Amino acid sequence: MSAPLPKRIIKETERLQSEPVPGISAIPHEENVRYFDVKVEGPGGSCYEGGVFDLELFLPDDYPMCPPRIRFLTRIYHPNIDRLGRICLDVLKNNWSPALQIRTILLSIQALLGAPNPEDPLNEAVAKQWKENQAEAIKTAREWTQQYAMKK
Amino acid sequence: MSVLYALAAERQLEAAAAEAKAAQTAHQVLPTEDEALMSSRGEHAVENSTPVALAAHEDARSLIRLIQSEIVAKQMSVAVDTTTLVQEQVRWDECVSGEPVADKACSQTLPGGRLVATYALAAKGDLYRESEVRYEVSGDAQKALDVSILHEVLEATQSQVECQVCYGLMLDPVTTFCGHTLCRKCLTRTLDHSLHCPVCRRGLGLPPSLIGQPSNKTLVDLLNALCPDAVALRFAAAREEEAGGPGELNTPLFVCSLGFPNMPVFLRIFEPRYRLMLRRSLESNREFGMLMYNRYGEPQGDLGSVHFYQYGTMLHIDNHQLLADGTSLIESRGAYRFRVRAHGIHDGYAVGNVERLDDVPTTEEERLEASETSGPPVPDWDVVGQLDRMSTQALLDLGRSFIERMRGRSANWLQQRVLDIHGQPPTDPALFPFWFASVLPISDEEKYKLLPTRTVRARLKIIAGWIRRIESQRCATSQLPPRARVTMRPEAEIEGEGETEDETDAEEVEFTPTSSART
Repeated sequence: MSAPLPKRIIKETERLQSEPVPGISAIPHEENVRYFDVKVEGPGGSCYEGGVFDLELFLPDDYPMCPPRIRFLTRIYHPNIDRLGRICLDVLKNNWSPALQIRTILLSIQALLGAPNPEDPLNEAVAKQWKENQAEAIKTAREWTQQYAMKK
Repeated sequence: MSVLYALAAERQLEAAAAEAKAAQTAHQVLPTEDEALMSSRGEHAVENSTPVALAAHEDARSLIRLIQSEIVAKQMSVAVDTTTLVQEQVRWDECVSGEPVADKACSQTLPGGRLVATYALAAKGDLYRESEVRYEVSGDAQKALDVSILHEVLEATQSQVECQVCYGLMLDPVTTFCGHTLCRKCLTRTLDHSLHCPVCRRGLGLPPSLIGQPSNKTLVDLLNALCPDAVALRFAAAREEEAGGPGELNTPLFVCSLGFPNMPVFLRIFEPRYRLMLRRSLESNREFGMLMYNRYGEPQGDLGSVHFYQYGTMLHIDNHQLLADGTSLIESRGAYRFRVRAHGIHDGYAVGNVERLDDVPTTEEERLEASETSGPPVPDWDVVGQLDRMSTQALLDLGRSFIERMRGRSANWLQQRVLDIHGQPPTDPALFPFWFASVLPISDEEKYKLLPTRTVRARLKIIAGWIRRIESQRCATSQLPPRARVTMRPEAEIEGEGETEDETDAEEVEFTPTSSART
């Protein structure tokens, strides 16, 4: 048995629909409105440009006191995202604040795609490649985007 | 219907017109209020209140700016053909004060409805703050204008006074040192998780519980005056939210360890969700249910294999001490036993619908005693049968004499310290088993057997059973390897012989139900 949905979640969901963020969409599941299907477009000018990445987002019981749980479903070649799609992002962990919201988190994720940070890696192998041969890494990221994140 | 609406709108307008005036004069009022705020508090608070007051200013100012721009903008755009005659009323005390009043009282025809006209008058500096005003109503158009402006002002205000944590109208707003304003409850909950401002992440020198932290008075006053209905609605909604989980799940449940009626339980509450539960409990009836964690996943009746045992004890909080780090020490006492009928999760902690569990009436108890003791004699080997034949008093004496014997041997678990906490063994046979279980160092799963009992005899027989086992182990100790000493704790500990860790030490039960309290 679950508690009634907090007003905040209802409002956030409404606003995501009524004032959508360009390049980002988050649609709640009908049977579980705490679970969202998310699509994030790769930022222009980055090696993920043109790709549309699927993510899943879940709002835990004590949201917004705790951050949403979110991970990539689409495979992506990125030093801060591991093979399971888990994301290394401070605002999803220690730097979470209840004043943040789904919208700002998704924007942060989109920004992370635009600015990979191999100094704080989650995926060691990718980060190593990124540091040693950035051109090659970016090429791989482009290929992966082509292969996994393009609408067919 | 429409007549009623018009009447209601009319009344609202009166208040709002007065408010427009108040808003205009608020700049002059504010510093005085802050001075009063500062001087009315103790020395310690004075240091802190200055930045808070300044931030309060900021909030109020931005709100006022907003109202200003809304009203002024409206005035510019529409009200060319509607005008209102505003007459300032000279108050009788000014008339008799002897001061010249002629230049104060004024009467002007200004563009716009009543709200805008009054505002314009005040903005021009022509309206004395204390004065009443009277309007010459010129028609429905004027009223419609007022209604629409009022609506817009409220709309514009709403987004400014939305809490960034709950997205609702700020309820009892508190302003941080860094100037951010949130509902008191939202900020407190945020502080349960981290001592940083949720908006700017600056470290907050605020006490983790905001008791004593002043509300943003200006904002409270403005909200109460501008949208009393919305404030009332928000208040009611918050109360409902606090009340508990969905439907009948209104008892907070703390899945942790064992408690018994009439026995003290000392807890340290540190997990954020339980801090919230504790606060809510303290604000309501100071009670919460404690359940033992079901570590072996034993099935619990209708509830199935849940993470707690279905029978628990309602604890009443006698004393509560909030520590500087936001954790709390609480001193509670078992009030009564209950069974969980249904359960759920509310804001991260467990809640349930519980059914109080009481002993059968005394007459029933006496009848049971008579029928059990009057049976035919049983052979020596039938331990259970023998206990049945014993009177309730004899069973109690068995327990009490065991305690006496153990005391004679200076058992660790009967040290003065333990007795200071739990009291001397009760003479009430209904309570003795609970006391006994609270001090005896045996497993909680074993002690739990007392909780579902409905008769005094059942409880006394359970503890008599423990005593029998302990004593038989004692006889057998010399012949058996330590492994064979059954399910109870090492009897050396119970006997008070040898070095053992003090397991019954109930002085401070440390809770680590991190993984335990999840469904």
